[in-house]
Amino acid sequence: MILTRGQGGLFRYVLYGHAALAMAFLLLPIVFIALLSLGSSRWLAFPPPEWTLKWYQELAGDPRWAESLWLSLRLALCVTILSVLLGGAAAFALTRGRFRGRRLLKAFFVSPMIVPVVIVAIALYSFSLKLGLNGTFIGFVAGHLIIAVPFSVICVGNSLRAFDIALEQAAAICGASRLQTLRRVTIPVIAPGLMAAAIFSFLASWDEVVISIFMASPQLQTLPVRMWTSLRMDLSPVIAAVSTLLVLASMLLMLVLGLLLIRRAPK
Amino acid sequence: MKTAAASRTLHEAKPAWPAIAFLLVCFVLPVGALLLRSVTDPQWGLQNFAELLATGTYARVLFNTFLVAATVTLASLIVGYPLAWLIVMLPRRWQQLLLAILLMSMWTSLLARTYAWLVLLQKTGVINRLLMFLGVIDQPLALVNNLVGVVIGMTYIMLPFVVLPLRATLSSIDPALMHAGAICGASSFRLFRSVLLPLSLPGIGAAGLMVFVMSLGYYITPALLGGTSNMMLAELITQTVQSFLNWGLGAAAAVILLAATLLLYAVHMRYLDEAER
Repeated sequence: MILTRGQGGLFRYVLYGHAALAMAFLLLPIVFIALLSLGSSRWLAFPPPEWTLKWYQELAGDPRWAESLWLSLRLALCVTILSVLLGGAAAFALTRGRFRGRRLLKAFFVSPMIVPVVIVAIALYSFSLKLGLNGTFIGFVAGHLIIAVPFSVICVGNSLRAFDIALEQAAAICGASRLQTLRRVTIPVIAPGLMAAAIFSFLASWDEVVISIFMASPQLQTLPVRMWTSLRMDLSPVIAAVSTLLVLASMLLMLVLGLLLIRRAPK
Repeated sequence: MKTAAASRTLHEAKPAWPAIAFLLVCFVLPVGALLLRSVTDPQWGLQNFAELLATGTYARVLFNTFLVAATVTLASLIVGYPLAWLIVMLPRRWQQLLLAILLMSMWTSLLARTYAWLVLLQKTGVINRLLMFLGVIDQPLALVNNLVGVVIGMTYIMLPFVVLPLRATLSSIDPALMHAGAICGASSFRLFRSVLLPLSLPGIGAAGLMVFVMSLGYYITPALLGGTSNMMLAELITQTVQSFLNWGLGAAAAVILLAATLLLYAVHMRYLDEAER
């Protein structure tokens, strides 16, 4: 604690007030969307004349939203699996390897995080136009994987660096094969890192907008692309309903993760 | 002993090959090809860069990009620093609550957050109506499709990226220093100005640079909340390529954006190295 109780006087209250406003600023859009999605006004009058669930009904009645949701889910799962496999193996090479140019390779793996996404999106757009990959599932997977792999390299790398290699040596001395050691010793120990890699990869794909806009076709639109296109047309309350569901989903995810952390903490 | 241990140290990058191959084909090759088009499309030469820098509208986009990034950086530091400070001061339970709210906003879909601001900031939106109700203004303010809208929306998105690193910096400052200052009779403001601020300056620099770099290349939020008169580089790139099919010019703008990003990122890394020392 930097300022302790009894200290501070007026300045302290200024600080409290400021932070309260900042928190309100953070919460305002999230709460507002939820209320908006329950309002009856198509023109987004607020406070709404009455409360209704009709935007959720409209959402459920339009199969295009369900298609987009399903596409986004499948895509994020594919990307997560590939990202953890590719990125995890790369992290292995980076932490265990004793070859030249390791630092350079590390920088190479995080470079997709540094290059502005819009450049990656345009580059992929021109590239996939030539290869005919635009509007294909493979094209989406490749595009999202570029964004996701750096997360896996970093997360798995972090837990591998904290891993005590003597454990593997002990397993080897006890006669375990390399595969057995990997499966029964290394992977269980670095499981939290793998989990983090999976979550970040999933979210990277799930919330990716820019690459997806350029990869999408009228038939193949992820959830963010569908939101983007309808946002550009009008500010329909249906988007508020989708947004509210997305907020609820991420709250649920956070709750689950929080419970997992609390369960692990006492040990 | 040698066989067991040595067999587990790799001497080559073999497990990394699939990832390397993937990134080379799907990332390096397309981006490289795009950047090359800045000097080859429609013919060899620097004509695209000349056009970009000499034309008034394009030069204004460049200027505007840096202006928005700088304003957003400043705004998120001003909003975020006190918040980070408070989080460090509070008891653990409250700390966790504030962090949870911060993370929740960060994990909420980017488009959902931008949509919320788009609706909130309309002429007939809640914020304008509230201000008019309170008698602060009598005409609705133009809060969206202009610089104000972009700055509000982007500051909102960047806030967690300022607060989280600043919280780490602030919590690593020895509280004894502040106690010592207080015992010597310094006022809170004096403590902040002469102890806390100087000590957290490296953290402020690092967080600020990071936000600046991220803001430079931002596309979605400026495209939705901004107006035509304050376009940013990212939107210029997509527009020249998609609407005008002028790949050479778009690629030249991409080269400038990438160069600025990499340069500032290098400065950021130097800064971090020094902060760690």
